[in-house]
Amino acid sequence: MTEDPHAIASNPPQKALPLHRQMDRIWSDLPGWRGSIASVNHGTIGLRFMATSFLFFSIGGVLAMLIRAQLATRDGAFLDTQLYNQIFTMHGSIMMFLFAIPMLEGLAMWLLPKILGARDMAFPRLGALGYWCYLFGGIIILSSLLFGVAPDGGWFMYVPLSGKTYTPGISADVWLLGVTFVEISAMAAAVEIIVTILRLRAAGMALTRMPLMGWYMLGTAAMMLVGFPPLILGSILLELERAFDWPFFDVLRGGDPMLWQHLFWLFGHPEVYIIFLPAAGVLSTIIPVFARTRILGYGAIVAAIVGLVFLSFGLWVHHMFTVGIPHMALAFFSAASALVAVPTSVQIFAWIGTMWAGRVELRLPMLHVIGFFATFVMGGLTGVMLAMVPFNWQAHDTHFVVAHLHYVLVGGFVFPILAGITYWMPMISGRFRVRALGEAAFWLIFLGFHGTFFIMHLTGLLGMPRRVDRYPDNPEWEWLNLVSSIGGMVMSVGFALFVLDIAMQWLFGRRSHRNPWKAQTMDWAMALPAPSYNFASLAGPGRHDASVTLPLARGEGLLPGAPRDRREVLVTEPGTGRPDHVAVLPGNTRLPIWTAAAVGSFFLLMLAGLYWATPLAILLILWAGWQWGGLMGSRRDAEPLAVAPGLALHEHWQVRNTLAYSGTVTLLVADATLYASLLFGVAFLTVIAPNWPPPESGLGWPVLLTGAAALLVMGLGLVASLLAEAQRAAPLGRLAALAGVAAAGLALLLLAGVAWQFDDPTRHARDALRAALLGYAGFHGVVTLMLALRSLADARQGRTSTMRRGAAPVWQLFQAFWLGTSALSLGVIALQEIG
Amino acid sequence: MIWMARVLAGPILWGALFSGIYGLHGLGCGLDWPTRDTPLGALHPPAMIAAWLLGLALHAALIRWNRASGDARQAMLVRAGNWIGAVASAVTLFPVIATSTCG
Repeated sequence: MTEDPHAIASNPPQKALPLHRQMDRIWSDLPGWRGSIASVNHGTIGLRFMATSFLFFSIGGVLAMLIRAQLATRDGAFLDTQLYNQIFTMHGSIMMFLFAIPMLEGLAMWLLPKILGARDMAFPRLGALGYWCYLFGGIIILSSLLFGVAPDGGWFMYVPLSGKTYTPGISADVWLLGVTFVEISAMAAAVEIIVTILRLRAAGMALTRMPLMGWYMLGTAAMMLVGFPPLILGSILLELERAFDWPFFDVLRGGDPMLWQHLFWLFGHPEVYIIFLPAAGVLSTIIPVFARTRILGYGAIVAAIVGLVFLSFGLWVHHMFTVGIPHMALAFFSAASALVAVPTSVQIFAWIGTMWAGRVELRLPMLHVIGFFATFVMGGLTGVMLAMVPFNWQAHDTHFVVAHLHYVLVGGFVFPILAGITYWMPMISGRFRVRALGEAAFWLIFLGFHGTFFIMHLTGLLGMPRRVDRYPDNPEWEWLNLVSSIGGMVMSVGFALFVLDIAMQWLFGRRSHRNPWKAQTMDWAMALPAPSYNFASLAGPGRHDASVTLPLARGEGLLPGAPRDRREVLVTEPGTGRPDHVAVLPGNTRLPIWTAAAVGSFFLLMLAGLYWATPLAILLILWAGWQWGGLMGSRRDAEPLAVAPGLALHEHWQVRNTLAYSGTVTLLVADATLYASLLFGVAFLTVIAPNWPPPESGLGWPVLLTGAAALLVMGLGLVASLLAEAQRAAPLGRLAALAGVAAAGLALLLLAGVAWQFDDPTRHARDALRAALLGYAGFHGVVTLMLALRSLADARQGRTSTMRRGAAPVWQLFQAFWLGTSALSLGVIALQEIG
Repeated sequence: MIWMARVLAGPILWGALFSGIYGLHGLGCGLDWPTRDTPLGALHPPAMIAAWLLGLALHAALIRWNRASGDARQAMLVRAGNWIGAVASAVTLFPVIATSTCG
């Protein structure tokens, strides 16, 4: 027998209880409410996300019941039209932005470290910041309903309906600003999830051997990273149009409402898969456990995930089939929409095959899995119907589409999530559930759902359009709607019973023993309820299943305990999982909530129309960002830490490829997508929009020379950032950082000079786009300036040495990105002038 | 991570091709290519068919040369990535030979 070259020796066993106390003291939340808001632990933040999203789900559900009450009879007098519009808009927006996405974020945050064998997510403070942004943004959106200014243009906010002309007041601004605020949490979660999966897996856990949930979440996060920026950009552009009259969507001045539809659905369709993939991860985790076998077709499922992630970005136009797009473009997206059923089917057959090969136990989580199959497959089939252009033209904007989307979203997300909650509740609560309540809840939800939506296909085929509040001239729709409304009420009772079941389990369930389902994955390799630190020591190569509970609890794994009173985690290489270094994660802090409050103040000032005061909020955000960096870094060079016998690794301050570096690269992918979406906007309006070419600009050599000078100075800043790292132990390093600060400041001034020469952005969409491109460059200039200042502070305060690099590597990334995107933007403007 | 790049090469090529040909379609319609005559007929269809065929040739090259030498699962996923991209390009862009461009 040959010895495994990657094997790592075990640490000597310790007493489990003292080790637990030591770890819990370092990793748990502080006591009291002040301690509670300072929590950054993934377990707390993940549960908060899930609980809050379920609360929003309940509110969205109540709104749905109001809709069903109104539609139960043809002359419903329950709601007036204005309120009905607000309610269906809020129902969709809440379910999408305040329930589904945050629920998956919460699940990922809570579960990933456990199932991958880690102690926390890669960026605990970022997770907490995301939660507070979500909570504050959600409260803003929800408050609008109480004050009677809720959005009422439908959850996809089409222009010109949501423009200032047809939607005066602040209702559309609530949606645009509130959703953008909430989506900060989605972007934060996407970065966190990707870096956690790629860098914090248990030692030796190769990517091709990680639990399928890891692949699903990796795919989800990658889609979020690329899918959300078009929506964020669209929201910014529409808000700029509403607030400052920049005419991106105004046809008379070179804009085009179709640009909004493209940007929205570039997000909106991948969004369906962003919601589905984590749910599919739950299914791939649960089904083998209750089928008492291994998942069938691991490789095929991973390939299907890859296929879904990419194909889902080629479908967005199927939401726009009726807007007058040429046949060939329709055919592209119709073919892609049909093709995407293939990778979905691969997964469905893999799950059926797994159940076929095993011996299925119909426990409560499996009931919800069966609910998923019965519902989602039907939703998928009606999706293929809607992918066909001729049928789509007939069914567009009818209740058939409403039925289809609920079959997909409830089947593809809600049932699997309910399965997941019932499956992981023993780990959350440490208790077994109370018998029979859950089963009753399932049947009420299942029958109520199909009672509501199955018959709605027929309502749609009979021609009932969505979003009407009365149908006095169509008595043939009435009994169908009445049945749907009764079904909806039954479903509501089911959900209420589900919540009661969870509460009963938490409060009165008897104590659960470890691993009650006899699962194989590492999330069950711990005491119940899950401790704050997950694992007292970390699993080594070849020990990535639930059988390692006791050795890990006794400290026989890697990096045992918290002997240095710090939150230490093992960072591994992305592909192989080979141990790379030890990262020291931040402890409890209230900085995330203060930062979220600073960001929130900006959104609130925008909402109130107090634009003159927004610079104060921006200063507040910059101050909070500066504090954020102040907690990082180290003033000493440390010896490598003993991780296991024969294995010593550096702390993260002394390596280059840190979690922060990986996170910045990931963030820049999202940033680049937003920029690419902006360039798409430029190209789309230039080629497609009416009322082009725009009026003469009169820009000449002075603008091009000023722009070229700005680029030159940014290039010098890049050289300074490289020098600041290369010479970090010498006085030249500090000088280079100082030069970098000066270069960033000067480049910003030169960009302001370019802006000064631009035409009024309200004149034409071309001028507005130029201002947007320059605003993008200015924003990145400010970020780069902050990073240069941080590098200078690092150098001055002794945070750099031969071994420690401070913020310089991250500064370089942003400096290069700023230079690259600014060069492209100025190139586009120059081309426009030449053309 | 080179392995991951190999897996993603096929789908990324599809993404580039899909965006490129969709962009070419919009550009052609915007610049009135369907009315510009060439020896092969109107300019728009041959331009798009040529781009599609070039893309399919690149996919064929990936299938031929993009392989992984790791374990069996790694090799399988690289092959799968190649084929996912190729099939997606063939199916989603075949309308370039099947329908009118800007009508």
